[in-house]
Amino acid sequence: MIQKVHHVGVVVRDMDQAMRFWRDTLGLPVHKLETIEEQGVKAALLTVGDSEIELLEPVVEGTGVARYLESRGEGLHHVCFQSDDVDADLQALKDRQVELIDQQTRTGLAGRICFLHPRAMHGALVELCQPIEEPHAAGAAAVQP
Amino acid sequence: MNFTLDHVVIGVRDLEAATDHYAALFGRTPSWRGEHPTYGTRNTLFRIENTYVELLSMAKDAKSSQVAGELPRFLERGEGVYALALGSADIAADVRELRNRGIPAQQPVEGHGIDQISGARRDWKNAMVPVKSTNGARIFFIEHVSPPDALPEAAVAVTGQTYVRRMDHAVVLSPDMESAKRLWSGVLDARLALDRTFPERNTRILFFRLGDITIEMSGGATQTEEGLGKPDRLWGLAWGVGSVEETVLRLRAQGIDVSDPRRGIKPGTKVATVKGVHTHGVATLLIEHTEESFQPASRRPQGAAFDNDPGRRAFALKALDHVSLAVDDGEAAARTWRDTLGLSESEAFQTTGAHMRLSKIPAGNAFMELVQPLKSEGRVATHIASRGPGMFGVALEVDDVDRAVADLRAKGVTVSDSEYGAWPGTRTARIDPSSANGVNVVLVQRLPEIL
Repeated sequence: MIQKVHHVGVVVRDMDQAMRFWRDTLGLPVHKLETIEEQGVKAALLTVGDSEIELLEPVVEGTGVARYLESRGEGLHHVCFQSDDVDADLQALKDRQVELIDQQTRTGLAGRICFLHPRAMHGALVELCQPIEEPHAAGAAAVQP
Repeated sequence: MNFTLDHVVIGVRDLEAATDHYAALFGRTPSWRGEHPTYGTRNTLFRIENTYVELLSMAKDAKSSQVAGELPRFLERGEGVYALALGSADIAADVRELRNRGIPAQQPVEGHGIDQISGARRDWKNAMVPVKSTNGARIFFIEHVSPPDALPEAAVAVTGQTYVRRMDHAVVLSPDMESAKRLWSGVLDARLALDRTFPERNTRILFFRLGDITIEMSGGATQTEEGLGKPDRLWGLAWGVGSVEETVLRLRAQGIDVSDPRRGIKPGTKVATVKGVHTHGVATLLIEHTEESFQPASRRPQGAAFDNDPGRRAFALKALDHVSLAVDDGEAAARTWRDTLGLSESEAFQTTGAHMRLSKIPAGNAFMELVQPLKSEGRVATHIASRGPGMFGVALEVDDVDRAVADLRAKGVTVSDSEYGAWPGTRTARIDPSSANGVNVVLVQRLPEIL
């Protein structure tokens, strides 16, 4: 069952340039910045209240995000809803024969994820995710000479 | 008070070796080789573009008891950054003000140095402060009496972009970050330019600017109990070079241990770490700025755009308010959302003048807004005509939309005047998508309910 809007995804051409607006000008704190090799994207997660803005820069040609950027340019790409059981939700969508991009859930930046096909949602690209709980890092200071 | 980073003092045991090492590291010959008969110390100075570096050792054959200050005790423990000298234009006035602010600065005293090679003399006045009053990091204040050109820039002795041009930043490790903030920002008037926490690295970083040099204060992401009141430590120095890659090659050819070049944490920078005996206990980084990085020259037109300290921001972004979807049939789209995802429309209405049908689909922390244009002109109709129905924009809640508009305009963002929003009880302003990576961003201020 859907619990909340987990994040909205924005495709950008240049992460450094995008960070100047979303992080520096708007002042949104960045809590994750990494390159996900298997998805061919550089991704940044910025906190806004109890939701997030996800900036995505394609770093490999031929991925969905790269094709989006090439054909449509930069812009709002998808909305992701947090679910308490993404596998059950995906099964329910299959039972109703909803058109899907992912037939199985997979691991993404937001946890276990799957995408619906935009044709199923009047052109909107919808992602479902179930965050994976991570144990808190040890409290010791990371900065060591 | 308006201090500069006048110079940095590195405490070394063997001045001859350190002079050779830093001459090789900088790619420059020293500006000055001096003695301080009255202090019992000797030094070598390198003036670079924006500050100078003092290698300081005890005078030859000097006994610890004959050396002024805490240098002997410091050198017993090791070498490294010994002190930061903050430059003052009127040291007597600044000492008075420091005392007003609770720093027991000593009365300024006159000093001078003689260059062993040229015989030239330089005069200054400096004022010491107890190291306890500056959180354990040794800081003193200096006003030069001699003109700046009395200390010439250290001659460049290498070819290409392989010499150290300037100091980029000095790194201070702080176990008590709030105390550091109070000292540097509240007492020393250094401009706090950044306060950022990196949870995944368990690091919080504060940037304070002294002229074009940054004092980077680094500590844990969260304040630990045991860190409170613990002393800061002058730890590292970062040197600006024209080309990190060329400099790494040059240093390696001279037998200096240096890492491969890599991308810096700051966007648009390249860095490499110098290791081994040449650093004399200083954590040493070479840094190259490119056009996109936070160089002082490129930062200026951005105004305060890089100031991320919440306390200094003109407005606060509180929440994701809603996500807008452009649809060509609002009722059909609402049925799809209900049947597919179990999210139901809670209200729908036509805007004044029947330009649009708007509806709201609550989704926990935010809502989905379905926007169906009812006329062929307008932003949403144009969007559907060119891109088809689908993702349209995001609305972010701010605490004060007018302050946000003024602040963003000052930073070069194209943003509309604020107006009453389509949803009751809101004032909104639109950021032009050209400023926001193609995204239609609306700022929403929720007004207090009128009873």
